[in-house]
Amino acid sequence: MRELSFEGTTVRFGTGRSALTAVDGVDLTVPAGSVVGLVGESGSGKSTLAKAAVGLVPTAGGEIRLDCAPLRTRRDRRKLQLVFQDPHASLDPRMTIGESIAEAVPVRRRRAARTAEVARLLELVGLNPARARSLPSGLSGGQRQRVALARALAAEPEVVLADEITSALDVSVQGSVLNLVRDLQRRLGLTMLFISHDLSVVRYVSDVIAVMYLGRIVEAGPADAVLSAPRHPYTRTLLDAAPAFGVALDDPVPADDPRLDAEAPSPHDPPLGCRFHRRCPIGPLTRPERTICAETDPQPGAADRPHRAACHFAAEILEVPGR
Amino acid sequence: MGREQWQAALRNPVGAVAAGLLVVLAILAVVAPIVWGDAAEETDPAALSQGSTSEHVLGTDTLGRDILLRVLVATRYSLGLALLATAICVVAGVILGVLPAVLGRRAGRLVTAAVNLAVAFPGLLLALFFAVIFGVGARGAVLAIGLAGAPSFARLVQTNVAAVAGRDYVAAARVAGVGRFRLIARHLLPNIGEPLVVNATVMAGTALLSFAGLSFLGLGVQPPAYDWGRLLGEGLDRIYINPAAALAPGVAVIVAGLAFTLLGESIAQVVGVRAVRRRTVPEPAPQEAAVAEAEPDAVLAADDLRVAFPAPGGGWTHPVDGVRLTVRRGETVGIVGESGSGKSLTALAVAQLAPDAAHVTAQRLEVAGVAPLGRTGAEVRELLGTKVAMVFQDPMTSFNPSMRVGRQLAEVTRVHERQGRRAALARAVDRLRTVRVPAPERRAHQYPHEFSGGMRQRAMIAMGLMSTPELIIADEPTTALDVTVQRQVLRLLKDVQADTGAAVVLISHDIAVVAQLCERVVVMYAGRVVEEVPVERLGQAAHPYTRALLASVPDLATDRDRPLATIAGRPPDPADRPEGCAFAPRCEFADDACRVRPGLAAVAPDQRAACWHPRSQPLNLALDAVTGGQA
Repeated sequence: MRELSFEGTTVRFGTGRSALTAVDGVDLTVPAGSVVGLVGESGSGKSTLAKAAVGLVPTAGGEIRLDCAPLRTRRDRRKLQLVFQDPHASLDPRMTIGESIAEAVPVRRRRAARTAEVARLLELVGLNPARARSLPSGLSGGQRQRVALARALAAEPEVVLADEITSALDVSVQGSVLNLVRDLQRRLGLTMLFISHDLSVVRYVSDVIAVMYLGRIVEAGPADAVLSAPRHPYTRTLLDAAPAFGVALDDPVPADDPRLDAEAPSPHDPPLGCRFHRRCPIGPLTRPERTICAETDPQPGAADRPHRAACHFAAEILEVPGR
Repeated sequence: MGREQWQAALRNPVGAVAAGLLVVLAILAVVAPIVWGDAAEETDPAALSQGSTSEHVLGTDTLGRDILLRVLVATRYSLGLALLATAICVVAGVILGVLPAVLGRRAGRLVTAAVNLAVAFPGLLLALFFAVIFGVGARGAVLAIGLAGAPSFARLVQTNVAAVAGRDYVAAARVAGVGRFRLIARHLLPNIGEPLVVNATVMAGTALLSFAGLSFLGLGVQPPAYDWGRLLGEGLDRIYINPAAALAPGVAVIVAGLAFTLLGESIAQVVGVRAVRRRTVPEPAPQEAAVAEAEPDAVLAADDLRVAFPAPGGGWTHPVDGVRLTVRRGETVGIVGESGSGKSLTALAVAQLAPDAAHVTAQRLEVAGVAPLGRTGAEVRELLGTKVAMVFQDPMTSFNPSMRVGRQLAEVTRVHERQGRRAALARAVDRLRTVRVPAPERRAHQYPHEFSGGMRQRAMIAMGLMSTPELIIADEPTTALDVTVQRQVLRLLKDVQADTGAAVVLISHDIAVVAQLCERVVVMYAGRVVEEVPVERLGQAAHPYTRALLASVPDLATDRDRPLATIAGRPPDPADRPEGCAFAPRCEFADDACRVRPGLAAVAPDQRAACWHPRSQPLNLALDAVTGGQA
């Protein structure tokens, strides 16, 4: 397993007035053998980042490296494997699950070796190898997601990228897939980028948590530190909004302030200065003296702040009570 | 297409007739030339250009040959040429169609443009043009008809390939390193096979007709060979003397053409392009218990609510199987369950929005004092239109994309209260303000796509508030939204409930979301209610399924070093539920008693569970502090 790093990775869609920068100069490192959890709302660019890594969307700038060696060719990129969100869509309905997995096994193997490998992988993800001949339609969502994981592992990847792999599953199944991911990661020492919109899920599997907002990483650090003492107000907002037992809707949180924008800004036209300032509970809409937020982009200099936070006021500790 | 689908295509009467005709034609094509080939060539100088006689049923041609035999023998040549032309068309079409997927972006575009240009060219003209190039004769005509049909087939292939190429499994194969050609052979072509088979079948019928046309014009088959088209041409000269000579080959062309086209149609029907409607009624459910007295202030009272769908193999399945649900005025009730538990279908049935194929029955169903079952659609709309509001999961598809949001809201008032346009629009703006849509005057004039997901969901709630609803049903209203927006929408629902006094039914797969908003939680499993519990008693949930659900969701306090609790197995298929308790096969407490279906029974005040072995010890969760939903 090797280290995956994004350096100034940028992805643009469209041209002219409809142009959209989905990923805007992202710097992120996934250390070898560890799990980095990437959270953010839909449209924040987290899936696009993963797709750029495996070459499904072209990058417009920056570099993606595996242990310092930039990924350029298709052969390079095969060392990264992506597991998709919807296991009902990511397996070919016409192919048996064995064929789907075998397809990803590197070509140099002989047929018998491939069959053995498929059986080994199915066993690894907790499925009966005898099921290799069944079609995806005969499997439940959780079982399909196990097959998708097995297919990703079949390619002998250096890094596995998991894109919202539990969000299409039922809660009772989600648990078993998360257990599997954690178990595989520990047994095989996998390097993983684990993408999810659900902080609780990300927290459960990740060593490091990175938070993405409008195409940028706004905070990244050790999982416990980010959750217990977030340095970016957006992380705090996410933590406050996560539904939990024992937390009532009426308990006010800073982000409920009616002076703030309720809507995320359009990614076609991100606001000047800090991209979060119109939704920020400690920003210029609640503290008028903080004009810097609306004028100066906090991204430069983020590397020097705690948790690499893209916030001018990251030094203010935002402790989350009771967590 | 699986074997069952082929069988289904043949069970359909139209498909069976078409297939039968094709079999007869195929037998004729093989047998007729062998048996009657010589007889059909035999000239009879004693019987030139005769009408119908006992010897020659359909008469003879100018050389005294028997027309009936000639029509029968021509089957092989006519069908063979048509199928050959179809094969050329399909092969050329598939090659042209997948080329853009193989070539790079620029070359691909060029091919697409060329195909589009060729499609715009009239097919017959193209065929005539090719016929001139390849020379008059059967070979020229086959090439002409085949190539003339290729562009439209190529376009069909292109469209379907483009649709499949966007699927995740194709992306997954690319990530796994599968090459372009293998991608086409293994992933793209097999998955577009159905529309191609349908179209090729229909195309064979068309090719047959075109061929007859070309031969009739003298551009197709040349003497001494003959096909139906040429026989038709010869017969037409003498149509006033012997009409049968022209009609017989004409009928043959029509019958064969129809057989191909109808077979294509019935295949299309089976593979799901067109649905067949069945309108029979399922067996009435066995009367279980006497209907309990409705609570006097219930805004929704359902007893033994069932929703049945026709099963593919005959019979019926019941995704909702005897649900009892009472919602009091002003109450917020959450319905929780996994996919397939029947929670959404229950809500749709209550709001009289179940799909057409569904059959809804209940021993009692009263919504806002109205019993909708057995009434016509118009009556129900009249009675319930203003009393029940629905909020759906996907706010993008629940609005008409081509209508401004304000007008869509106003329409509710205009239809139900017959208000003027201006007054209705003013109310729409007012309601948008109520749900805290910023700048409501401006946003009322925008289209749904100009709204973000959260704003669209607010607008959907505003639409429900255009009249004075007594019941708001929200079906997974926040599933497509982010946590920050989810919180806003849930808070809004809570405010709306407090302001209007309407009852709210919130349906969700997420028990934590439900616990935040609701006073009472109804847990559904396999089409039934397994537990009803006040939210503050969730920590003492009695049904093993409820407890497992609560334990399996990680939250921000879950121990990261311990595996998450899981529920072994999977929910039963509605067509194949176990006798007795549906959860028993996955339940650690199940025993012989669970082979009998448990009814909902009180386990604590206001708490009822359908379980023979209800649990009583508190759950080991930080749930004692649950206060969500307390007004």
